[in-house]
Amino acid sequence: MEVSHEVEALKQADISSAATTSLVAKFQTGLLAALAKKTGGIELLNENEIHVELQSSDSIPEACSYLKQEFQARLAMMICSDERQLGRGFVLRYVFEAKAEARNVFIFVTSELVESRNEKEEKDGNNSDVKHIISFPSIVLQIPSAVLYEREVNDMFGLLPAGNPDTRPLVLHEQWPAEAFPLRKEFDLGTKVKRTLQREYKFTNIEGDGICEIPVGPVHAGIIEPGHFRFSIQGENILNLETRLYYTHKGIEKLAENMKLDQVLLLSERISGDESVANSLAYCQALERIGRLQVPERAVLIRTLCAEMERVYNHIGTLAGMSTDVGFAYGAARLNILKERMMSLNEQVTGSRLLFGINRIGGVGTDLSKDTARLLYISLKTILDDFNLVISHLRTKSSVIDRLRYTGIISRQVAIDLGLVGVAARCAGIDVDTRLDNPYSAYPMLKVDSHHDSPQHSTQYSVEMQKRVGDALSRFDVRVEEVNDSIRIIRDLVTRLLDDGSKSLAAPRPSSFEPYSHALGYAESHRGQTLHWVMVGSDGNSLYRYKVRTASFVNWPAIEQAVLNDIVPDFPLVNKSLDLSYSGNDL
Amino acid sequence: MVEPTAVSLQLQIIGVVQTLGLIGIAPLITGIMRKVKARTQKRIGASIIQPYYDLAKLLKKDEVVSDQSSWIFRSAPWIMLISTITAALFVPSFLPFSPFNAAGDILVVIGLFALVRFFTMLAGIDVASAFGGLGASREMMISAIVEPALFLTIFVVSLSLGGTNLTSIASSAANQFASGVIIMPSMIFAVIAFFVIMLAETGRIPFDNPATHLELTMVHEAMVLEYSGKSLAMVQFSQSIKQVILLSLFVNFFVPVGMLTPAIGLSAASTASTALSFLAKAMLVSALVAFAETRVAKWRLFRIPDLLAVAIASSMMGVVFFYFWR
Repeated sequence: MEVSHEVEALKQADISSAATTSLVAKFQTGLLAALAKKTGGIELLNENEIHVELQSSDSIPEACSYLKQEFQARLAMMICSDERQLGRGFVLRYVFEAKAEARNVFIFVTSELVESRNEKEEKDGNNSDVKHIISFPSIVLQIPSAVLYEREVNDMFGLLPAGNPDTRPLVLHEQWPAEAFPLRKEFDLGTKVKRTLQREYKFTNIEGDGICEIPVGPVHAGIIEPGHFRFSIQGENILNLETRLYYTHKGIEKLAENMKLDQVLLLSERISGDESVANSLAYCQALERIGRLQVPERAVLIRTLCAEMERVYNHIGTLAGMSTDVGFAYGAARLNILKERMMSLNEQVTGSRLLFGINRIGGVGTDLSKDTARLLYISLKTILDDFNLVISHLRTKSSVIDRLRYTGIISRQVAIDLGLVGVAARCAGIDVDTRLDNPYSAYPMLKVDSHHDSPQHSTQYSVEMQKRVGDALSRFDVRVEEVNDSIRIIRDLVTRLLDDGSKSLAAPRPSSFEPYSHALGYAESHRGQTLHWVMVGSDGNSLYRYKVRTASFVNWPAIEQAVLNDIVPDFPLVNKSLDLSYSGNDL
Repeated sequence: MVEPTAVSLQLQIIGVVQTLGLIGIAPLITGIMRKVKARTQKRIGASIIQPYYDLAKLLKKDEVVSDQSSWIFRSAPWIMLISTITAALFVPSFLPFSPFNAAGDILVVIGLFALVRFFTMLAGIDVASAFGGLGASREMMISAIVEPALFLTIFVVSLSLGGTNLTSIASSAANQFASGVIIMPSMIFAVIAFFVIMLAETGRIPFDNPATHLELTMVHEAMVLEYSGKSLAMVQFSQSIKQVILLSLFVNFFVPVGMLTPAIGLSAASTASTALSFLAKAMLVSALVAFAETRVAKWRLFRIPDLLAVAIASSMMGVVFFYFWR
């Protein structure tokens, strides 16, 4: 049984590597034809990363829109790193996924920003105070979802996205001095910056008869994190919503640059407490790719099991929150009890209610005894039964369903434009799930859901997806389905663990990794695709650059679109149904 | 039984005691409703006398008053409290009569409630916070439909039980029940309408969620969001009193079980039994309201008129039935 699974996994790997090779060829010819001699070279790294080096940053928009049009590629992340110490300058990496053409491949469009232009400006300007503005061409007009990344790069590195109509500060607020760029290497971690209030943040001004603004937050009622929402309303109808986040910016990416690899692991778990497994898994997998570590099968199973437990307790929590926000306290109470049962089960199984301390670089830190495995197997059965009972009860409440239906609609086009991930995207009819698109850990040998196991089901699923409205009800339904799937996966994994007699929990960890090597790690958290890009530092045991892109970062803008057809009192429900993390966004 | 013109001192004292009793149990009723809600949600919940502690705590606290507010904001809690207490004077609760019935009938009670509502809305707008304005506009929308429904329902009751005088309504309800008429057909429709209106007037689910912390969804709470300390205590207390007044109207109009009839006459034993039966009925109805609250979600704001339309339609049916069954 297991052997056949392994063979299957191997076969899949073969197929995907063959596909990758052919894609590289196709990509190479296409890009060479399209961009003539603007590419510096194409190479394949870490099994599934195709790196395209552009000769000049001027051809970034051309290359990106080529990828988007020819390969239906989706911008997954944009990475900027200050590699001036390596003699390169600032390097921009645009990470694309081209699922329609080839599964399990990430395309990196890399371009170096040279400072020559900057020197020229300096020569032209008579004033010595002239600012060193380095700019790069914006791709916002071709790929709208790039806007947040470009604003982030502008804040953190001081690189101006030329042509981006919105260059307001995103991460750093008004108090932060305009000339301090925290992710540049010359910015020391210990720097104390002076708070100034020179800058002013301009919200979009909506004017007209009877239109008023409601400012909500950043401090909210209840125990949640800070975020500011600026509504423009006419009566109860929301005309515009602008969110402002990053009130709890923790500087995770900068902190990581001064830490040892194992410390960064702990840091990654704390990016967002409820995504600890997904974040640490993505981080570990990036390093495992760099070191080509073979994670033992038992560790792979345990990792995946914990990742799914995380999904279950969080989805139940979100469903409870949705029930609270429609004012149905009974359903909320029942679901919160179930969430609590899941969390104490987490503690019984792993020793941590929030599943901290599971992943290690190269494996896992905790084992599952046969007794706990059996306990998990049995407890999950009763939890699932109770869960489905509560859900069927909720579904019969017309008042609940009425609140959810057609509330907070995210259309397919909006989801594509914003490059949404996770449940929000799946509800808008986009079949995106890292567990299936880029199978990692134990997922290649698992049946993730019942939609992708046969061509017939896949077709049925794609038809069903076209019918999805992208409202709160569909997000409710998809979450319920995923809880069921995840519990099935966990029970499957438990059976495998009980059969598995091996003891090894972690691959031997190399004392150091190759300096300046880099890789992308990915995982599907309950919120969606989580990407961690790491570049190892000079000593091979620290990080040179750590870029984290959580699902919340991508999905936050969706809320501004989702509420446009709704009235003010439905906002909390829309917000909850999207399940966005403040902490996961305010890195 | 009671001559409206000649109110003896003794009766006046009884009336004041009755009013004080009604005001006194108001927080208790709130506590019971919270307890029932907690139990139906598998929570233990706070003690049923917690609202008294809350009021005592708030009375001890300092107030924060926005410097953008005017005298309206500061005087509104007093107006709310005084109006509801005045309304309580006219309402027969523990006894089937109120000695002050000559001074005010049910229309005055409704008018006082409207005054409370008016000042609550003004106070919400006065502080110029976005939520206060939102809450006030929602309250206006809801009250514009609640009030006609309430009046229609009162007409059904008045037609069926004779007059708008609360004492005469209550005693004829008791008389009718004693003579074997459990409920009149027109009153059945009035019960349905009154129950819905009671939920709307006291700001309960599905109209408003008294337990929410989400400013954006609030109606009543949004208007009084800026209050703190003693003012908040007054606002909350007047809300409790309003609730208990509506409950006693409900109980005395529609459930005259165990009520003192004029034939029996006023004695210590009969007074005690009727007062106790009132208390039991009030608690039961409040528990019923709380239970009903846990069975539904809060409705979409713009669907609330649908529910109130049901109340209006039901009381219209009550009027029709009243004339058919005569």
